[in-house]
Amino acid sequence: MSNIFLYVDPGSGSYLIQMIIAAVVGALFYFKNLWWRFKSFFTKSKQDKPEKDKLHE
Amino acid sequence: MSDPTNHPASYKDPAGFVFWLDGKFYRHINSIYEPSYRQLIDSGLYTALVQQNRLIRHTELGENLSKKESFYKTLLPEQLSFVSYAYEWSFDMLKDAALLTLQVCREAIGYGMILKDATPSNIQFIHNHPLFVDTLSFQLYNPAQPWIAYRQFCEEFLAPLLIGHYTGTWVNNLLLAYPNGIPVEVAARLLPFKSKWNLLSSLHIHLQARVKAGDHAGKQTTNFSRQKLLNILDHLSKGIQSLQNRRDKTTWSDYYDNTIKSQEYLKEKKILFTRLLEQTTGQSALDLGANAGAFSRLLAEKGYEVVACDFDGAAVNQLYLQLKKEPQRILPLVIDISNPSPAIGWDNQEKTAFLQRKQYDLVVALALVHHLVIGKNVSLQQLADTLYPLCNKFLLIEWVEREDEKVKILLQRKELDYANYNKTAFERGFATRFELITSQALSDGLRILYLWRKK
Repeated sequence: MSNIFLYVDPGSGSYLIQMIIAAVVGALFYFKNLWWRFKSFFTKSKQDKPEKDKLHE
Repeated sequence: MSDPTNHPASYKDPAGFVFWLDGKFYRHINSIYEPSYRQLIDSGLYTALVQQNRLIRHTELGENLSKKESFYKTLLPEQLSFVSYAYEWSFDMLKDAALLTLQVCREAIGYGMILKDATPSNIQFIHNHPLFVDTLSFQLYNPAQPWIAYRQFCEEFLAPLLIGHYTGTWVNNLLLAYPNGIPVEVAARLLPFKSKWNLLSSLHIHLQARVKAGDHAGKQTTNFSRQKLLNILDHLSKGIQSLQNRRDKTTWSDYYDNTIKSQEYLKEKKILFTRLLEQTTGQSALDLGANAGAFSRLLAEKGYEVVACDFDGAAVNQLYLQLKKEPQRILPLVIDISNPSPAIGWDNQEKTAFLQRKQYDLVVALALVHHLVIGKNVSLQQLADTLYPLCNKFLLIEWVEREDEKVKILLQRKELDYANYNKTAFERGFATRFELITSQALSDGLRILYLWRKK
């Protein structure tokens, strides 16, 4: 285990990782959105909802 | 008026501290926190969160009651009747606390603020409802900066939840071993290989464990944005919503459903229990060995505010989930009475020991004595001595005879004959500390409910 944690504030050190994750998650949302648009263009069904909304039901 | 006493756990935050004065908790705000506090109130964030029942309500007082320097304001928050800690919560309690933290953070961003820390210590359960209680956790939001509390959130909430999700057992004792959160490097090693295929754990735990902390600390200008942060919060939120403690059936959590042959038995015990309750009065009750809370519910119906404890995390979780559907004044907690939570933190005073935390007007211990005496080798006198300081007025305890099926099973596994486990010894032991009001046996004669008054 790295002793470096003894000197680092719990919040810091997570900046780079947040940049990476934001990029991954951003790309993910982008492609998901594209997929749903693509899908709804062909099916034209109004019942199809993005996964985002389903989870909040 | 007596002198104010600082709360022993409230020393880290430069924004202010909690103190105790004349039977009430207050919050002292230092002048350094004035801009943040003004934003919290003037932006409408405080009102919004209070209306959503997510943030604790408070009254502002102009007077410097703590008499400390750098005074800006004194707050009188809504008073809590009981304080519990993350290592005493069940899986879904920690999950809901995590989701509340994310919701509060998301809401705050809309009002130009953000959470500066993300820890279960900011949250208390009012019965089954999680409430954000640290009013000074909000700071002004700078969209160019990522979330200062991100790593803390991952270690204090996400890591234990993922471990609970993947192992199927509830490892709340791990939170006692790591009271400031399970370090991501440790969590990454504890999680099974398949967790690497889950985006939630692979990004927020495994990847984070590989990126060296400290290398990028500091306040260098980063190319971050509000939308990026909201994406991360949403990703965490959705991922956590899908986590569950899969092994939800245990020996105990379906105890009443299957093990006990006749429902008649339970019905009879409930009637007898309710009749004995009529002879008690009080505000607070502690139900030890509460299981999924069948009797805690009767206590709540009688008007008691109940702390319902069981060592089985699955049973407690089941009670918590039921309470979310049908709320009652019951706080479910994972407590092993043979090894209750110790006092921990700085000076051993930050988080108090379970047995020292509160006295209850009524202590209830049903079907517990035989487990402690035969299962844990605790003597009847020791048990009476331990329950005595917990109890303010009444003790309602069940005695289970040696001939009872459950006791027989326990005795079969043991080499000792436990000759001391008998009714006379029980009555003699408890009579040293309590005065008998009445005792009533169930119709099989093997289980007897005793109602005692504290001496």
